[in-house]
Amino acid sequence: MSETRQTADDGQTTTDSEPDGVSAGTDQPLEVTSGETRERTRDAWVEHEFEGDAKLSVSDLDVYYGDDHALKGVSMEIPENSVTALIGPSGCGKSTFLRCLNRMNDRIKAASIDGSVRLEGEEIYQEGVNLVELRKRVGMVFQSPNPFPKSIADNISYGPRKHGDLDTGLLANLLGRSDDDAVDELVERSLRQAALWDEVQDRLDDNALGLSGGQQQRLCIARALATDPEVLLMDEPASALDPIATSKIEDLVHDLAEDYTVVIVTHNMQQAARISDQTAVFLTGGELVEYGDTDQVFEDPQSQRVEDYISGKFG
Amino acid sequence: MAGATESTLVSEDTTETEAVAAGAVGLAAVLFALSLAAMFELVTITDPIAGVPMVALLGGLLVLLGLAVVGFGVGSRLGYVATDPRPTAGLVASGAFALVWFVVGGLVASQTLGLGTAGWVVASLVTGGAAFAMSALPREDIGSTLPAGALAAFAGIVFLTGVIGPSWVWDLGWEQQASFNAEFTIPVLTGFCSLLVGWAAAKAYGGFGARGRHIGAYVLVYLNALSIIAVLFLLVAFTVLKGLPGLFNGLAFGAGAGPEVTLVGVTFSLPLSWPFVMNGVALLNDVNGVLPAIAGTIWLVIGAVLFAVPLGVGAAVFITEYADRGRFTQVVEVATNGLWSTPSIVFGLFGLAFLVPRLGNQKSLLAGMLTLGFMLLPLVVITSRESMLAVPDEYRDASAALGVTKWQTIRSIVLPAALPGIVTGIILGVGRIAGETAPILLTMSGSVAPPGSQTVDVVGGFQFSLAPPFVTNPELMRATSALPYQLYSLITAGVGQSSNIGAIDEFRWATALILLVVVLGFYAIGIATRYYFRSKLQHE
Ligand SMILES: Nc1ncnc2c1ncn2[C@@H]1O[C@H](COP(=O)(O)OP(=O)(O)OP(=O)(O)O)[C@@H](O)[C@H]1O
Ligand SMILES: [Mg+2]
Repeated sequence: MSETRQTADDGQTTTDSEPDGVSAGTDQPLEVTSGETRERTRDAWVEHEFEGDAKLSVSDLDVYYGDDHALKGVSMEIPENSVTALIGPSGCGKSTFLRCLNRMNDRIKAASIDGSVRLEGEEIYQEGVNLVELRKRVGMVFQSPNPFPKSIADNISYGPRKHGDLDTGLLANLLGRSDDDAVDELVERSLRQAALWDEVQDRLDDNALGLSGGQQQRLCIARALATDPEVLLMDEPASALDPIATSKIEDLVHDLAEDYTVVIVTHNMQQAARISDQTAVFLTGGELVEYGDTDQVFEDPQSQRVEDYISGKFG
Repeated sequence: MAGATESTLVSEDTTETEAVAAGAVGLAAVLFALSLAAMFELVTITDPIAGVPMVALLGGLLVLLGLAVVGFGVGSRLGYVATDPRPTAGLVASGAFALVWFVVGGLVASQTLGLGTAGWVVASLVTGGAAFAMSALPREDIGSTLPAGALAAFAGIVFLTGVIGPSWVWDLGWEQQASFNAEFTIPVLTGFCSLLVGWAAAKAYGGFGARGRHIGAYVLVYLNALSIIAVLFLLVAFTVLKGLPGLFNGLAFGAGAGPEVTLVGVTFSLPLSWPFVMNGVALLNDVNGVLPAIAGTIWLVIGAVLFAVPLGVGAAVFITEYADRGRFTQVVEVATNGLWSTPSIVFGLFGLAFLVPRLGNQKSLLAGMLTLGFMLLPLVVITSRESMLAVPDEYRDASAALGVTKWQTIRSIVLPAALPGIVTGIILGVGRIAGETAPILLTMSGSVAPPGSQTVDVVGGFQFSLAPPFVTNPELMRATSALPYQLYSLITAGVGQSSNIGAIDEFRWATALILLVVVLGFYAIGIATRYYFRSKLQHE
């Protein structure tokens, strides 16, 4: 693609003054980042043109954990009804970024957030935002599976029941208004979507903690789907799954993108390339280095560091 | 060298020495059990067993075991037995042996030889120092067997020669004429020595070294646990045996045997007559009973739990889930811990000075319930808080991420997960308050030996009216008795004798047994509840 470059292994600090084969912008002097090719990120690299509306727009987002600057001035627009993949080395702030999108970071004492995130144009970091409503609209699947110590069926129906969408309480039962059938249907649909139904259909009343790690992961996906959010944030939802279950989850994500906006963190480049419409690459230090159309990011990255990362030279 | 055996993954068949060592461990356990039995006077030390008096048997066994253990140590040192000892028995073991022998030396010098202070101090230091040197300096096999075996053999010889015989008494000569007699001393010494030898034999069985230490510790811990269980069991058995005769006095079955009861308007006779739990104390009774006190205790506990649990859990929810962790929660924590350690008589005084004047100015069941409720409250707060803190934050995060409000999360996720812990706290607390005497004495004591007609009937006592206060319950406002209080007054005041209770001793023990049964009954309910909630959280 271009001439010899210094690689991650190259500890020397020779200036990378060769014109980048891809980026059209002017070359800037370099900032030193140890272990990686030194280069300055350019705003142009994170501009992503797309048709339609932005579901989420993030601008100048900074996150600190105490003194630790975990996310540095991230700005990106996430289009509606699409799949956005977040990739990057471990500890670069992918989960942090994801948690900012439904304000789960508020629950971490040490975290302080600065910047703006808008959901359909409405600022979510302002006074008076109803966090419960926000999280109903922006659902999340955590990096580590965390089912409730309840039955499988109760795990799935938990969200809708608590939202009051489904009523299975004693009173409803007595008044003949119980939504038991609707619950059964919801449980089956969600579990089928998450490719778990066949494995657990006979044991819906068993405790969810008795499921295997991969099954728990899919249960958490099903649980998030059951609340029918507009945006689904998924943090490595397939990390503990075998290829078959993974491909089912990928199909699910693909299908979801028709009506939902999916933001998915993954360590698996092929997966990101397969399922996403656009890809954001975070690199160590909490910077968003490149964001754009998935094909472009993988085949023709503008940043040298991103190219090194994608081709497995570091990270 | 004997210790240089290769470590093998699979040990071969039991060797002869191992079998003998195992036998020694077993014998030590038997000896320990015998000493426990003698301590509780299940066997007396003069009883002949197989023609040999108990003391002589104990002494002989101790000598035998002591010699066997020393034999193992020496055999291992000389290389006759394949073992894997460390260079030394270790500082803890050496220190313990030094202390034991220090005491032995001092006692022998001052009591048997009659030396003065200087004399026994020197003797103690000599024996203690020798024991330390004996166990710290040589290799582990000698170091851990010799001092233990020698002690057992020494004790055995003392018993055998009659230096401490059945009629031995050590008069301490203090003001109270305190003295140790042989019935107590011999079992205690035997038990202690058998533990020591058992430990040493177990080490020998494991071939010393890491495995030996593991087995030695295992035997010690095991014997210890067993003896604790045995003591508990003996205690309960003792009460049961003493209480049973009084409890079942006049028990009768058969249609129409029991007292008449009215349920839902139908009056019929119970097919069972159990005077002790169905009667009060009255002149005309064939057999007197404690029904009013049983009812009083049960209602007390129910009332205290109904009062304290909602309040306590509510407070715990607030300080755990809502209040910011900081100075305030720390103060609450210290205060609750302090309240839980407050003596019950202080709660009783509070009840007497604060509650009684405000509740009709008389001692009443309600005042007792509230006082005991206040006593229970801190423990409910502490345990509820602990168990809510133990609920993983992942559950709370997961629930929040589904767009569920905090209160719903607490109610549907946090509290169910914390329930087993909360119930444990309630069980512990109920065990304490159900047996309380002092607060009852001050806040609700009725007559000492109430007749059956004074049994509280809280459920039947509710009276409804159209005018405020709408509900009244005179039963709650009445003084009544409770089992611990009744027992206390029967014992101390001797009131029972003056009234018409015949066999007062039998009556007391039966009352104690009933109290035990009621408290254990609450335990059983609590444990069943906890089991139920726990099984809902787990995946079996
Ligand atoms: N709760 C927290 N408190 C303090 N620091 C945190 C916390 N969570 C994350 N961090 C820090 O923020 C940085 C980014 O963490 P983050 O979890 O977002 O990484 P990630 O990209 O998701 O990594 P991975 O791929 O390993 O999951 C890390 O340096 C991490 O140490
Ligand atoms: Mg992460």
